[in-house]
Parts: sequence; C-alpha cells; structure tokens
Amino acid sequence: MTEAKALALSKKEAIKSSGKGAIRVEKESEITKVLTFLIGEQVYGIEIPYIIEIIGVPSITHVPCYEIPSFIKGIINVRSKVVPVVNVRACFGKEEIAYDERACTIIVAHEGVSVGLIVDEVLDVSSVSEKHLAKTPELNQVNNNKFIDYILEMSDGVKLVLDVQKLIFDHDVAY
Amino acid sequence: MSKVDAGMGAMLDAYLFESQTLLEQLDEILLRTEQAGTFTEDDINEIFRIMHTVKGSSAMMGFESLQQLSHKGEDMFFLIRENKIQDTSFVYDLVFRMSDLLKAEIDLIQAEGDYHPTDFSDIIKELEHGADVLAGKATLDGSTPANAEVDVSPSDSADAALVDTVSVDFDEDFTTVKIYFEHGIEMENLRAFLLLNKILEETEVADYFPKNVEDDPATSAYIAENGFRVTFVADDKETVTSVLRSALNIEKFEFVENPKEAIPEGGVKSLAVETPIEEIEQSVVPATKAEEKKVVEKPAASKTPPPAPSPIAGAPAKQSIISVNLAKLDQLHDIVGEIITTESMVISNPELEGLQLESFHKAARDLRKLTDELQDTVMSIRMVPLSGPFSKMNRIVRDMKKALNKDVELIIEGETTEVDKSIVDNLNDPLMHLVRNCMDHGIETSAEDRVANGKSAKAFIKLAAANASGEVIITITDDGKGIDPEKVLDKAERLGLLVKPRIDYSEREAQNLITMPGFSTNEQVTEYSGRGVGMDVVKQNIEKCGGTVLVESKLGLGTTFIIKIPLTLAIIDGMEIEVGGTIFTIPISMIKQSFKVTEDQIIRDTQRGEMIMIRGECYPIMRLHERFGIPSEVTNFEDGILLLVETENKSVCLFSDKLIGEQQVVVKPFPPYFSRYNIKGAGLSGCTIMGDGSIALIIDVANLIEN
Repeated sequence: MTEAKALALSKKEAIKSSGKGAIRVEKESEITKVLTFLIGEQVYGIEIPYIIEIIGVPSITHVPCYEIPSFIKGIINVRSKVVPVVNVRACFGKEEIAYDERACTIIVAHEGVSVGLIVDEVLDVSSVSEKHLAKTPELNQVNNNKFIDYILEMSDGVKLVLDVQKLIFDHDVAY
Repeated sequence: MSKVDAGMGAMLDAYLFESQTLLEQLDEILLRTEQAGTFTEDDINEIFRIMHTVKGSSAMMGFESLQQLSHKGEDMFFLIRENKIQDTSFVYDLVFRMSDLLKAEIDLIQAEGDYHPTDFSDIIKELEHGADVLAGKATLDGSTPANAEVDVSPSDSADAALVDTVSVDFDEDFTTVKIYFEHGIEMENLRAFLLLNKILEETEVADYFPKNVEDDPATSAYIAENGFRVTFVADDKETVTSVLRSALNIEKFEFVENPKEAIPEGGVKSLAVETPIEEIEQSVVPATKAEEKKVVEKPAASKTPPPAPSPIAGAPAKQSIISVNLAKLDQLHDIVGEIITTESMVISNPELEGLQLESFHKAARDLRKLTDELQDTVMSIRMVPLSGPFSKMNRIVRDMKKALNKDVELIIEGETTEVDKSIVDNLNDPLMHLVRNCMDHGIETSAEDRVANGKSAKAFIKLAAANASGEVIITITDDGKGIDPEKVLDKAERLGLLVKPRIDYSEREAQNLITMPGFSTNEQVTEYSGRGVGMDVVKQNIEKCGGTVLVESKLGLGTTFIIKIPLTLAIIDGMEIEVGGTIFTIPISMIKQSFKVTEDQIIRDTQRGEMIMIRGECYPIMRLHERFGIPSEVTNFEDGILLLVETENKSVCLFSDKLIGEQQVVVKPFPPYFSRYNIKGAGLSGCTIMGDGSIALIIDVANLIEN
C-alpha cells in the first residue's frame, strides 16, 4: 500500500509541477483513486491509500478535557482499538448537524496515527487521471482551504481532495 | 563509529544482557567474600569464569577496551588462584572499581547514539600493579622485593606427565573438539574410549588426547580435569555433534578452531582449558582473542536466578530457561487483554438478554476459567523477583559504609517477592535514593551517639518486601536518629512549602513533607544524597509505576519508608460509575467507601463549597458532572451517590449519578492523537473497553482532586 501511495504521489507531484508551468499534456493514465464524500453540498475526497475502513457512526465517548477542541468528538472502539473521531463539518467551521443514517466514519491512518472522520455521506470511489486535475489557485493561503491538497474537475462536478497529513496533525488553526 | 559490525546487531542484546548479569554476579560474590574475609576456591573459580566470559564475549563483539580491562582482572584472579594467596584485602577496591568501569562501559554501549570506547589505561596499570603485588614482584608501595623469583607456573595439573601435545599437523580440514564429562562420574578413560569408538564409526579421527585411554586408568583424572580432546575431519562436524549430543554423561563439549592455542602447554596462556568444569558451566559463548570456541552445552544447573529445576538423576534434562524479548511479552499481554475484553463482549452480549441458554452459559463459564488462567500465566511470566534491585543495595551500603565510616548492616528480607518487570525497572533509582538517605541522614554519625542513646554501636538498615492484597509493600527501615517533625516544619516554613497553618500539621504529615519537591533537611550537600531532589525523585518514580511512598519515623528510634506498588499495571480492579451518560472507572484501591446522603447532611460553606461530615471528619464534595462539564439530570445529592476517595494526603467525596458495578478492566492509554492535550491534568489516566464495546474513562484520582 505504501509503495502504491508513493508511486501515486510521485506521479501527482510531477503532474502538479507540469500543470503549473507549461501547457499540460492530456493523458488518460490513472494516477490515484479517491474516495468521495459529502459535507453539505460540497464533494470532498480522500486518497484511498490513507483509508483503513468506513464504518457508521458508533457511540462516541466524549473526553472531558477543556483543552480538546470541540470538533474532536471523543473516542470510539474500533475492534478493541481506541480511535479518536473528528467531526469534519465542525472542523471546517460549518454548522454541526445531527448524524443521520447516511453519516459515516471514515477511519484514516497516517504515520501510525489513526483518526475517524465523521462525514455527512460517503459517495463513491473516483479514478483520478491527470486530465482531471484543475489548475489550482494559490491554495493554502485562505484559511478555509488549508486542508485542501488539490482540486479535481470531473464530469460530475468539482471535488476537493483533502490533505490527510494536515487534517490529522495540523488542526490548531482549524476554524 | 558504529557500535558493532553489521550482522552482530542481534547478538548485541544478548551480549549486553549476559555481561550485565555476570557483572552483577561478580559484585555479589565480591561482597560475600569480603564479608567472609576470604575467598573459597569455588568463589575464585566463579569470579574467574565471569571475568573470562566477559573478556571472551567482549572480544567477540569487538569491544577491545572491555576485553583488555577484563583480561587484566582475569590475570589477577589467576594469580590468586594459582598462588593460593590468602591476603587479598587490597584487591577488593581495585576489583570493585574495575567492575564499575565495566558496567559503565556496557551502559555506554547500550545507550543511544555513537559509542566511543573509554580509555582504561589508568585502571589497567593499577590492575597490573596489583597483579605484580600478588605475584610478589612488587609491594603495595611500589618497591620490588628481594625475592622476586616466584614460581607463577601452574602447579596443580592432574598429572605432570600428561601434557597434551598436538602430534599431527592440522590444517583447516580438521576440527578439534574438547569433551568434558559430568563432574564426579568416574572411569572417564573408559567413557572416553567408548565415545572415541562411536566417533570412529562416523568419521576419521586424526588425533586424540590423552592416548591409551583404554588401558591406562591414570588418564581418568586428566580427562576429568581437562577434558578429552578429539581431532577429526572437519566435514563431519555435524555428525559428530549429534553423536556427542546423544551420548550419555557428557557435561559439555566445545569445538576448538585453533587447537594449538587451546592446548595446555604449562603456561599462563592455557587458562581456558585448565579452568575446571564448574567455571564453564553456564551457557555462555566464550571466545578469546585467538581462539574461537563454540560451546555446545549439555544441560547444566544454571547458577543464575531463578534456579532451573534440578535435572532428573541420570537423564540429562533439557535447558529449561529461555530469555524472551520484553516487547514480545508486552504484545502477548496486550492480546490477552483484548481476549478478556472480547470475551465479556460475547458473554454479556445484549442480544442474549432474556434467552434461556443453559449450555451457552456453561461453555461461557469454562471459557472464563481458561482466560483467567491464561491471564494469570501471562502475568506470572512477566513477574521477576525483587532480589535484583535489592542485592544492588549491598554494594551501595558497602561503599557508603567505608566513605562515611559508619558501621551498618544491611538486612534483606522477602527478596523473592515478585513484581511486574516494568515496575522493577522503575524501582532501582528510588531504592537507591532511600538507602542512601538512610545511610547518610538516618544513621547517626558516630557510634558513641548511638551507644549513648541505648542502641547497639552497629546500626542496621532493613530492606523488606511482602505481598499484601494485590500490592507489594517494600519497607526500608533504619534504626537511626529518626526525623524530627519540628525541624522539618521549620525548614518547610522557611521554604514556603506549608499549605496550612503550622499547628495543624500532625507528626506524620510533617514527616511526609520531606517528599515535597525541593526539600532536603541536610544543610550540607553530600556526595551521596541531599541534593534536594532525592526524595522528590523517589516519589515521582514510585508514582510513575502507580505506587505511593509514606514515611513513618520515631524521633531517636529510626525511620521507615513504606513503598506500596501494584503487582501489575495493565489490569486493574475498577468501580464503574455513570455521570450524565458517560461511564467512568475509578480504581477500587482508591475508594474508601460509597454511600447515599440526604440533603440535610450537606454542609455548605460561604463560597458555594459543599462538604460532608463522616465519622467526625469533614470532606469536601466534588460534583463530577461539574468537574467534567457533562450535563447530567442527577444534580440532587439524594438521587446520586457519593464515593469517598483518598490519596495519600487528600480525601474527597465524588458525587456521581450511580454506581454500575465492579469489573476488572484492561487499561489502555489514550490514542497518541491526544498527546498534545493535557488529559492527565483533567484527571483522566486512560480508558478501557467495556464488555458491551463501549469505552469507559479511567479517573486519575490524584490528579482529579489535586488540580
């Protein structure tokens, strides 16, 4: 899995740099797969290699510690492993809604740290090829775009692919 | 510089472990013999074996400095043994220093980062000088005596006529094996002959020694002492090994790659072979500079604790002790924890409620019995006796006795008490600090003072351990001058450590002030203790492994430090309580009592604080739902329940919605994702997965009520 990820990343990097500079060469080759999900009306994606599993919204044990930001909902039990959960809605500064039957927890892992991400609805898996990569404006400048790695323009709409590394480790400026 | 050659990495752990164990053994023997005032032959042989093994394995690992130093130590004991020197008193300090340096060097190797060998030339010179003194070539003050001609050559070979000489020119095509028979077996010559015939069936034997074993019974003694040497075709090494393994009454056998080096020629070089069997008894891999020997050991009674079961008479027992990587045990332990959790998930599954399941419940009971047994077994694997950390204290007392000129006896009791390995590792420092404290501050400076107070001139420090209801209690007692509560209070007042009016402190509370950070009653900082951090460190280390420290002292009579530590860390007995829908677990050991109250029992102070009077003592009430900020419907005291919890210096009543029940829980730390938040400060120490799969939070009582 890590090898595949590295390969995908290196391809992605290559495409990113070429995309920014000269004219982009259209290619049909698939570079990675992205799991897409909904937060409100917006479609987001997470690259498949980060994803461990998708489960419903289990009962969450709140950890009463005032230092913990409110978008970290608590901890859940995933087959005897204690995993923290983050409400992605709250993390993106959107209004929290009650979890309905379509709400899901996506368990992602990066560098040995697992986190559950609660999303409104999981859509499907999209194959991303080079031609889908949108020309991105200066990302990471605006606070709200902080977690966005790159943007896909696909036939069924625009998808924002999230940077899991930042989502997990970099949430001091989350609001 | 890298520590070891590539490929040796896996050996390094074994090497470090072995060397540390051996050096500890060395200290033990030295202490014992120093007390007895003389070396017995067994002691010297044992010391010799230790030095030899350390030297050999250091050479094998490529640690030259260690090898040289231990070589000098070995030389010294060689002289003591060969010359039967009785007056060895001056040796001790030298050898203790050497042993310390070796240990320090091994710690260096073990430490992270680059390893740079230490220059031992000073101590080596001293050891050489010491050896010269022993050999009679020099005196302690450095002058050379007139009769410098002392016979250093070994004199006690079994038979002077029997000298093993290699009669064939060997090349690499031949392998030499040395066979040692079991001690005291007798008729070694015939056994050797039979064995030789067996080997002859398998391979071509080029040479063996002693010759004519068949008809010369005199060779018996030589074989008993020096082993039986056979040189055969190298290609058949494996077949011969299996022959030797299946043969009876063989203590051990070893392959000698370079036979000429290993064969005794009546010189000092031949130590390895002249070493009697007891010295090579342990499963070690000695290798000296030139000779690379491989010891394939037949089972032998190991001398390291814990003792191996004694082999059944006649039949050679198999090696019964293996060393296991602690990480693997931890893993096993984790899995057992998960099995226990999963088991409760299955057995108390909510879907089973209300069903009549007779055979299911029977099977469930059997399963529970087995998992309980499994847990006990895994726990017992991790248990190690306290004799390790305890015996280290011998050395500290010995050194301090000399330095402080106090006559103190160390009494050790209950050192076979077993505690979880991870806890024992955390105990070394606290014990050392406490024993030093007793030596330095506890025991009176002069024996006259003691006698004047009606005590014996010789003081004692007692180190005792005992099991008591799921806890291990370690006490360190001295019969010294005790702690003066007034002095402690004076000092604490000056340092601003008092939290309530001085008059309110009981004698015991005052004495326990010495464990406060930054407290040290001795004005003078000494080499051994009194840096003002000692007792604080003791307390922290003990608390790290879930224990507590108490001080009890009678002025003029002595002081006792009482350390209570849990047997194990990972599984605790917990009381489950509910607060606003969240389940919390409180370690049962912290709970003194739980009770219902009525509104009129509550005492309210002027700052909205609530208190309750129990048996004449007033305890503050902490509402858990307010403390944790959890909305709860239970806010009337009459609807909920109070739990009286106690830490060493504070008692508080916790108000919760209801008690759920008592359960053994497996403690899990919070996920690393939370490490940036101060959860511990919030009064939570971890979490646990309950039978129904939900998560309960474990309350850290000390942090909860103190912050």
